[in-house]
Amino acid sequence: MFAYIVRRLLYAIPILLGTTFLLFLLFNVVPGDPALQLAGKHATREVIETIRAELGLNKPWYGQYFDMLKQLITFDFGRSYWTKQKITDMILAGAGTSFSLGFPAFVISTSISLLVGLVIALYRGSKLDKGVVAFSVAAQSVSLLVYILAGQYFLAYKMGLFPISGYDPDFIGRWQYLVLPIIIFVFLSVAPELRFYRTIFLDELYQDYVRTARSKGLGTKAVLLRHVLKNAMIPILTNLVITIPFLILGSVLIESFFQIPGLGDLIVKAIANNDRPVLISMTVLGTFAYIIFNLISDILYALVDPRVQLK
Amino acid sequence: MSSISFPKTTRYLMGLALFLGLVSMSACTGKAGAKGVLKMPAAADAKSLDPAMADDLYTNEAISLIYEGLVEYEYLKRPHQLRPLIAEAMPTVSKDGLVYTFKIKKGVKFTDSAHFAGGKGREVVAKDFVFSFLRIADPTINSGGFWIFDGKIKGLNDWREKNKTAASVDYDNGPEGFKALDDSTLQITLANPYPQLLFVLAMSYGAVVPREVVEKEGKDFGNKPVGTGPYILERWMRGSKITYVKNPGYAHSSFPTEAEEGDDKALLADSGKTLPLMERVELSIFTESQPLWLNFLSGQLDRAGIPKDNFASVIDSGSNNLKKEFADKGMILTIAPSPDVTYTAFNMLDPFIKKAGPKFRQAIALSGDTKDTLKVFYNNRGIPAHSPVPPGLAGYDENFINPYQRYDFEMAKKLLAESGHPGGKGVPVLQYEIGQGAESRQMAEDFQRRMDKLGIKVQINVNQFSELLSKIDQKKAMMWGVAWGADYPDAENFLQLLYGPNAAPGPNGANYNNPEYNKLFEQMRYMADSPERRQIIHRMMEIFATDMPWLPGIHRVTYGLSQKWLKNYKPGYMGGHIAKFLRVDDELKAQGVK
Repeated sequence: MFAYIVRRLLYAIPILLGTTFLLFLLFNVVPGDPALQLAGKHATREVIETIRAELGLNKPWYGQYFDMLKQLITFDFGRSYWTKQKITDMILAGAGTSFSLGFPAFVISTSISLLVGLVIALYRGSKLDKGVVAFSVAAQSVSLLVYILAGQYFLAYKMGLFPISGYDPDFIGRWQYLVLPIIIFVFLSVAPELRFYRTIFLDELYQDYVRTARSKGLGTKAVLLRHVLKNAMIPILTNLVITIPFLILGSVLIESFFQIPGLGDLIVKAIANNDRPVLISMTVLGTFAYIIFNLISDILYALVDPRVQLK
Repeated sequence: MSSISFPKTTRYLMGLALFLGLVSMSACTGKAGAKGVLKMPAAADAKSLDPAMADDLYTNEAISLIYEGLVEYEYLKRPHQLRPLIAEAMPTVSKDGLVYTFKIKKGVKFTDSAHFAGGKGREVVAKDFVFSFLRIADPTINSGGFWIFDGKIKGLNDWREKNKTAASVDYDNGPEGFKALDDSTLQITLANPYPQLLFVLAMSYGAVVPREVVEKEGKDFGNKPVGTGPYILERWMRGSKITYVKNPGYAHSSFPTEAEEGDDKALLADSGKTLPLMERVELSIFTESQPLWLNFLSGQLDRAGIPKDNFASVIDSGSNNLKKEFADKGMILTIAPSPDVTYTAFNMLDPFIKKAGPKFRQAIALSGDTKDTLKVFYNNRGIPAHSPVPPGLAGYDENFINPYQRYDFEMAKKLLAESGHPGGKGVPVLQYEIGQGAESRQMAEDFQRRMDKLGIKVQINVNQFSELLSKIDQKKAMMWGVAWGADYPDAENFLQLLYGPNAAPGPNGANYNNPEYNKLFEQMRYMADSPERRQIIHRMMEIFATDMPWLPGIHRVTYGLSQKWLKNYKPGYMGGHIAKFLRVDDELKAQGVK
């Protein structure tokens, strides 16, 4: 397995190089000079050229690309063009915040989806199953914006159950602001996940090994938890592990409406301000996280299913 | 089927959810009674808290609570006037208008910082201002504020040039233009008369910063501000909230003792009191309008602008007053003109625009009804612009009527024909550049429809902001919509937008270059407000109206609401954030929004 992990990590190098090159190409093909925006409304040619020199934008393309690679390899992402903050500090602050929002929502929605998915799969065709599926389809058809607007208006403003918006970096203090966004996040995630897990469980419930287990006299609970759930683990793990990087990257709309200073908010502002170093760092980190979590899901396959061998 | 019990982990999660719910509900009621706190909204976050980076309105406002300069605007007086702040008095000016001498107030201190001896804030001296001003010109800082001194201070441009190639910037041998004669005397020597000098010194770029802290903090200075202002930064949650606490050592500024005739007498209730009036200020950043509005309605904000989508439910369209529902809650409506102008610029170097001539641009102007635009897109929050200069500024001429700022479709068709393009014949597809956003798009589509009626086709190109700037810089844009907000209350700040030498990448993105206009601008820019200067400006407006390098849009009007407990609010202040003048009546606030 060790050799497999090393090999997969080595594969990551060309993927990361390819990503950085594509990104670099994109920023150089898409018009828009960051120096012009930074020079302000009274820009002069001299000021623009000075800014270009400071940012290294006056170097040939390969010089700029090399600078970018150097920064990424040394994990010194430099500073934001716009705020002059260290990008590492910006990402660390935003990632913790986004994770505080995303992780509880992920755990709660996954637990609910797995549990309800298992139950309705078991009662396939019943009123409960039809009702839950219909509800999921309906819930999925409504846009996130509607959940946010309605949640904020009715639950926070009209009923006063939660603060309307805001955030507190203090670990205890933050939860008062996160409960409503988490509820919305859960509501939004449960519907598609529930249908996905239901399908997986249905596939498993009609397998021969389930019939065998039942014929041996095993109870429903034992069949579901000991056999069905375990055999359904591969698609479940794939879905769960691949979701984790997105928890850190945050939800743009939720963070924006609830004034949560996470990475979603950071990305939106970086796009608006043409803050290339921030965008490049975020994209490369996202790619890296995706590769790593893909690898983790492969390793987990081997752990949950003895038939899978990593070579 | 046997019953299924919840697995252990699910039970834990349900417990956690319950706990979070309880935390949330208890917290909702927990902070309502905080006293001495002013809660204000901001439409965007500051990019830095370094005065050298105060390039936009929101950054400038956030900085102005921490930093201050020699002079500031009078809070209650209109038209705008200046008063001394860290300066002991307004400066003495030499007869030729070139030498300004300031005396610095004694006892004004920077707030505490570990970078001062003993960690205690030290007194501000004249050489702090020399350092702070040189920093704006420092080629390694790249401040967007260099324009305030560019070419105007004796020897400064040479100093900047020399330091571009130096190993380190030499602050100890500054130019002749900035001199600390002693600890309490600062002398500024100009290269040419510059009547706007005092105005620009009231901007955040003119604020004083402590050299030792700047040098120790380096690029992090923008995150760890140390100023002399009424407030100290307590916490900055980027993109969410900036919290300030009162500077305990602040004693050098007091509430004005004079208001304008016609002002509410209650505005002078705190007359003469040492500022600031509140212990704490919270600036909440709202990029979406719903949370802003709901926070205001629930009393979590002391003031808010009225979002476009809520305007009709708040303001009676007939009387233009607050609807009863809001008036009954004691909310106070304020209406104030913004010192700005919106316009659609033509690139005067574009081959077709250049060749088509003024009649073509006049025809386009006459085909649009600004009153209709105001109604549809601005809830009538604005007035049609007849020239670049907005009302309330020295040099604004309320009697000037631009003959092309009206709707006259027949005349538009006639002028189009006279320009050599009857029915739009021979006009290429006009390339109309806009920024992102639904509203820009809708306004552009409205323009497209109007042009279609004239027989002219318009292609709308949506751009990222920097992309639009690049097109303007490279003189590739043909037409684009934009707005300009005042840096200081003088017509010069708007008339320079059409001054030939300010062509792109400068503020004259239209690349308009009329020798007579340029000559008149050079004359008026060095003059103080006077009938003679106003006459020159009038002539410049006539030239503008004939050439029409822009389609003038509107001067916006701001509608805002204050809670009944917010005291001392007067709209239309020019200099930074007004938090230090405001007071919250905590007893009234405790009653809530009723």
